[in-house]
Amino acid sequence: MKAERIAISFQHLHKVYPNVLAVKDLTLDIQQGEFFGLLGPNGAGKTTSIQVIAGLVKPTSGQVIVNGLDAVRDYRRVHRMVGVMPQEEVLDSWFLSVREILVYNAGYFGIPAREAGRRADELLERFDLGEKRSAKVSELSGGMKRRLLLAKALIHNPEILILDEPTAGADVALRRQIWQLMSELNAQGKTILLTTHYLEEAERLCERVAILDRGELLAVGPPAELTRSSHRDFVEIELASSAPRDLKLPGLNYTVENGKLRLAGTLEDEHVLEVLNALAREGVKISAIHAERARLEDVFLEITQGFRK
Amino acid sequence: MIGFYTLWKREMVRYLKGSLDTIAPPIISTILFIFVFGLALGSRLGAVGEFPYIQFMLPGVMMMSVIMNSFYNPAYSVFQSRWQGNIADFLASPLSYSQMAVATILAGMCRGMIVGLIVLGAAFAFTSLPLAHPGLMALYLVLVSLAFASFGCIVGLWTKGWDGVNAVSIFLLDPLVMLGGVFYSLEMIRGVPILEVLTQINPFTYITGGFRYSLLGIADTDPFVGLGITAMLGVGLLLASIALFWRGYHLKH
Ligand SMILES: Nc1ncnc2c1ncn2[C@@H]1O[C@H](COP(=O)(O)OP(=O)(O)OP(=O)(O)O)[C@@H](O)[C@H]1O
Ligand SMILES: [Mg+2]
Repeated sequence: MKAERIAISFQHLHKVYPNVLAVKDLTLDIQQGEFFGLLGPNGAGKTTSIQVIAGLVKPTSGQVIVNGLDAVRDYRRVHRMVGVMPQEEVLDSWFLSVREILVYNAGYFGIPAREAGRRADELLERFDLGEKRSAKVSELSGGMKRRLLLAKALIHNPEILILDEPTAGADVALRRQIWQLMSELNAQGKTILLTTHYLEEAERLCERVAILDRGELLAVGPPAELTRSSHRDFVEIELASSAPRDLKLPGLNYTVENGKLRLAGTLEDEHVLEVLNALAREGVKISAIHAERARLEDVFLEITQGFRK
Repeated sequence: MIGFYTLWKREMVRYLKGSLDTIAPPIISTILFIFVFGLALGSRLGAVGEFPYIQFMLPGVMMMSVIMNSFYNPAYSVFQSRWQGNIADFLASPLSYSQMAVATILAGMCRGMIVGLIVLGAAFAFTSLPLAHPGLMALYLVLVSLAFASFGCIVGLWTKGWDGVNAVSIFLLDPLVMLGGVFYSLEMIRGVPILEVLTQINPFTYITGGFRYSLLGIADTDPFVGLGITAMLGVGLLLASIALFWRGYHLKH
């Protein structure tokens, strides 16, 4: 059955805070095993949507179904399947050490003490926090806190991982480590729901992304498809000799100006090849080629700014 | 069950790790009470029934410590977790809402009872108490700590700041405890009109009176009325705490 293969299903999710419409009738399915990106400007409603699954936000109406279970009604079983890394560096820092934070969290998930200790040590090692095991949270750097949050989200080995801006404030090495880790976990079959403001990150990792603004879902699809539909690819060919007036290039949108031939729109490799062949046929020499693919960032700005107008 | 135990343990460790701040004060204040009211003023106050004043007073002091300590633990802890945000650890875990409420309250009860027993121990260092009905005393300890730990849990959910907890303790609990026969018997205030009325309509009078009966074997109120009031408060406030956790009151947006 198809429904069983959906990991997270937002169904007409609606959330109104006093004076703020945070999420507006969001309907969206994330498949099991999918690497999914939830994108949107500040205040778009990403965190709010996620927090319904983590039991931190009560939906005004609508629901979120996780592996077939209602996140509100069946919260205990849903929480068992989901690991959440929050956006804020919120840790139980008053009196617990780094290692104890992990061990206690394992305990809340019903993991016996010995096993909890083993997993905590393993994760501390994996995230280079071994030396800080006895430290207090206040003694950690920002990046270390993010690593600890990530370890905490993984302590019960959840099949669905929800990461709210995991790479915010991470240095280059940590960002790569987190990318690598997310890819590994996804390869092991875990579903990953990622929010990020780094669109190259989403483009690189996510099979599909959704773009949200002011609580509304504006676009969903694989990053490549979204960028293709934007018609914003761009190729510029500098000509060493002048081009004849009648380059026969049917169906291509091009201009020749100041010894430069410009192509724009949705460009596949064969289109460019076609132009190069035509130029070669006509004996036109080429001095340089600049090509630029549309980036997710362009599409993102186009969609969100278009929406705000 | 592991989840429940872990949360209970967290609440206990939170209290016990700061043991100098949390265990020493009740011992010190009890000793001060014993010195000031028992030894210094006690001889002028005379005996209450067959007991010297210090022995009459000690069950009241013990009750006061149980009430305050079982109240403060969940009140501060719940508010602290909300304020710091780590309440999300519990809310996003597979713990049920009733488990969260009960584990928090149980830890508060443990603190109240531990401190109560410490006070009892300190009392025995200076004087003796007959321990007339130990079973009844244990029942009182459990029910009183249940009632006030549950109340603390509710206050911890309700308050918007640290001062809210203190305000409840200063404006509500302190007057009720002080006018609840901790330091005097109904006999001693006969003829002081306002005090007499306030004391008689104060449910704490019956709780303190009943507890005193369990330790000394004398009573100026019916110990079973006190037990009934305590049990009703305990069960009622426990259920209210669970309901508030269930509704996500001040826990979820
Ligand atoms: N507890 C709250 N009370 C009132 N309004 C809130 C609350 N939490 C969020 N909001 C509002 O809801 C909207 C969505 O916020 P949300 O945190 O979900 O955005 P986001 O997409 O995660 O943004 P960011 O990228 O900045 O993290 C915002 O307008 C925000 O001000
Ligand atoms: Mg956010």
